[in-house]
Amino acid sequence: MAVVVVVTKPSLQALTAAALLLPGLLHQASVFAEDNEVSFQYGHYQEGQRQLYGVNSKFHPIEVNSLHGSGQLSLTDRIKFAFNYTEDTWSGATPITTAPLAFQGNRSSAADGISGATPLINLNGNIFVDKKYQPLSQDQLTGKLTQNSQLVHTLSSASPETRQQGDFNLSYEWDEITLSAGGGISVERDYESRFGNVGAQFDFNHKLTTLTVGASYTDNWMHSRLDHDAAPYLIKTAFANQIQIVDGATVLQGNKYDWSGHLSLTQVLDKSSLVTADFVYSHSRGYMENPYKAMSILFVDPKSLNGDPNARGARIGEVQAFLEQRPDERNQIGIGGHYIQHINTLDAALHLNYHYHHDDWGIDAHTFEASWGQPLGNGWTVTPRMRYYSQTAADFYAPYLLSKQAFKKITFDRFGMPSEKNYDPKKLPENFSSDQRLSGFGTISGGIVVNKRFSKGLSLEAGFEYYTHQGGLKLGGGGENSYADFNYYAVNAALKLDLFALGALHSATEHSEHHHHHQHAPVPAGVMFGHLMNQSDQWMVGYRYMYQRQAGDTLHGTEVAIDNAIVRNGCGHGRKARCQITPAEHTMQMHMLDLMYAPTDWLNLMLMPQFMDMDMNFRSLKGGIPSPHTGHGHATGGIGDTGVYALVKLWDQSIHHVHAGVGISIPTGEVGIKLRPTHRTDPGYIHYGMQLGSGTWDFKPSLTYTAQIDDWSWGAQLSGTKRLESHNRSGFAFGNLFQATAWGSYRLFDNISASIRGLYTWQGAIKGMYNERSDRPSPMDWPRNYGGEFWDLGLGLNAHISQGLFTGHQLSFEWLQPLVDNVNGYQLERDSALSATWSVTF
Amino acid sequence: MKSTIMLSLFSLFLLAVILSGCSEVSAWQRGHLAKPHMAVQPHPLQVVLRGHIYGSREAALASGANEGGGGCGCY
Repeated sequence: MAVVVVVTKPSLQALTAAALLLPGLLHQASVFAEDNEVSFQYGHYQEGQRQLYGVNSKFHPIEVNSLHGSGQLSLTDRIKFAFNYTEDTWSGATPITTAPLAFQGNRSSAADGISGATPLINLNGNIFVDKKYQPLSQDQLTGKLTQNSQLVHTLSSASPETRQQGDFNLSYEWDEITLSAGGGISVERDYESRFGNVGAQFDFNHKLTTLTVGASYTDNWMHSRLDHDAAPYLIKTAFANQIQIVDGATVLQGNKYDWSGHLSLTQVLDKSSLVTADFVYSHSRGYMENPYKAMSILFVDPKSLNGDPNARGARIGEVQAFLEQRPDERNQIGIGGHYIQHINTLDAALHLNYHYHHDDWGIDAHTFEASWGQPLGNGWTVTPRMRYYSQTAADFYAPYLLSKQAFKKITFDRFGMPSEKNYDPKKLPENFSSDQRLSGFGTISGGIVVNKRFSKGLSLEAGFEYYTHQGGLKLGGGGENSYADFNYYAVNAALKLDLFALGALHSATEHSEHHHHHQHAPVPAGVMFGHLMNQSDQWMVGYRYMYQRQAGDTLHGTEVAIDNAIVRNGCGHGRKARCQITPAEHTMQMHMLDLMYAPTDWLNLMLMPQFMDMDMNFRSLKGGIPSPHTGHGHATGGIGDTGVYALVKLWDQSIHHVHAGVGISIPTGEVGIKLRPTHRTDPGYIHYGMQLGSGTWDFKPSLTYTAQIDDWSWGAQLSGTKRLESHNRSGFAFGNLFQATAWGSYRLFDNISASIRGLYTWQGAIKGMYNERSDRPSPMDWPRNYGGEFWDLGLGLNAHISQGLFTGHQLSFEWLQPLVDNVNGYQLERDSALSATWSVTF
Repeated sequence: MKSTIMLSLFSLFLLAVILSGCSEVSAWQRGHLAKPHMAVQPHPLQVVLRGHIYGSREAALASGANEGGGGCGCY
């Protein structure tokens, strides 16, 4: 379930900072490095295939894409502010229950027989067990029964889901005491948690000893839509008062509260080593189940010794799937130690960690970790690491349960009247779960982190980890059998900017040159390729955020389309092609990293990787056939396409500047995202507009003019996207695009200017179509309902910081208001768009 | 559970008393301790990412510092 939250300011930086805050010991720049840093990180998690013992599954193993942006800033000498934004998108197959292979849990409910549609948890038939209640497999040809106690996970897949989390921390430092407070929120489609924390740090003994204490509170709200196909047969009796039917779907709700306290002590042992000791306690109360996990229970009436002539001597059982049940309370403690030794001969750092965990669910866990930080010179550091983890199973964990009673029995009274007798719930354990996280197992993982620090305050970091989970690795043996083993690998890459180093660089440059050469004519946030750096060896690192929302009416051309017209004409022609639903809301967020380098004063090279996420909700159509797709939405997220561009100066005069851009968009974004099978069908590809990239190599030229006189500036740009391929690997290509825009800007204050902009966009319809069968119930599933002509008005603000720590930083925002839509086919009208950019030139 | 908590806290206190008396490192001798790879968490970004993965795959409280949130992790 939820990751338990323990929030304190890490004591680590405390100590390093304490050591660093020694006059004359180290270069002053490094003192602020950790307090003034902006970082961006991308991570990818990929699990390996599960062992399904011959079942032909078309599920892809689970994968997670993560984006993390963070900043630590010194607002004053004593006040520090830190913020984090995290976004995870995951999709793929995960175990929903465990059962003997003989139960045929991964057998498909779809006609094609390939496991890939919703798996059947219950068999709707009889299971044979021997006298010792061991499952028996029946040969379908001969009818012969053989003992088969092999267990297997039943897998089900999830459509892409996205989680977003934002949090902050504010701290105030006195000479030997630091107080901090923070909070945040994490939002998923089915789960929300809000958390707050306070912490304090005390330095003693000439800063050789540091004590950190902290406490946090988290409020979690779970509201899960149970699988449409599984909900009818899942037994949910224990949660009857938490279940509601919303828009025809079964929704299970629950609340959970976590309190935690944390205490940490760091002690410098000598000039080359230090040690920390940690203690953490956490108390949780409420709904702690995983709503997507079920327990398979085999009901066998001990008196059922008869039955099938092929199965003489066997007992007959029946399998039922119950929503898992966990205790409503959990108390956990953790205690750990961390020893760090500097190895003088190699200038390396050896880190050794041990952590012990104990809780009242019966889980004891041990974690051992070791890493070796080795600087290699020229700013390079490599850190190989190993980790071993082992846990015992929770008291209520079992792969599946056996209950020696009939699930349902027909009895006859003395008058011969039949009556149905249900199972006795009191004969079942109070709590049960087959979640692999609660089983006994061990894991070994190893990886490496490589850092490269560049001279201008820019650092790159890349990490890799391989992890294997095996029952056989449990400390002392007795772990879960090998059917539950799995592996994963995780890779990540990060870019970090040391703002203090950049600031210091700026002061040096300004003192030598006596002017602010970085201040360009402001360009509205929504305009890309608007700036050209005109000094060789200059760098720019920026972040660009775009938000677009479509909501309201469905349009046909410039007019509002009535539902009846959408039903009849929005999804092809003829009686068979009728729309069932139409989008009610569609949002898109784009996070783009903007890296730019000027090898000469007339050429800029740009690299723009991006991370996208999208969300879409539907409504039903009057006059349309009812659809199961209404009432819930679809989400996608992950890496988008990557742009590589060159900007070339064409004309540069004191007032007027012209530059051209040419570049390629590399199809790194996914275009094969599919919805999970549900309603006993496989819907296939998600709507075209929900894919994360174009899937085609695209040519993107632009021509930009900018000008500035005193407080006034203006500009114009023509730009386009030409698809270089007729279709991508999924069978289609988005339409070409052309944009023309012009803007004017006026400096309101010394560093702040306001802008107004007009934008015209033309885009063609999609060419080609998906090359595999997919459901097409909405206009979004039809290629001709894409593209059109669009007019927008933009209002923006632009701030340029020219003094202090943040010299050279630029912040801009622009609100884009749609004026006119003239859409191809039937499309949801546009509502608004927001662009925000931050950049620093150095 | 209560006795385990008390025992843990007492051990920590004892450790603090013992260790704080045993070192005397002057300010100018702390050069090695101040190096980035000697930080208690040399890679905080990695720790956050890995911590979230471990939290969704293992039952124990993550070791080291937890900075909050995490969500359901129901996969």
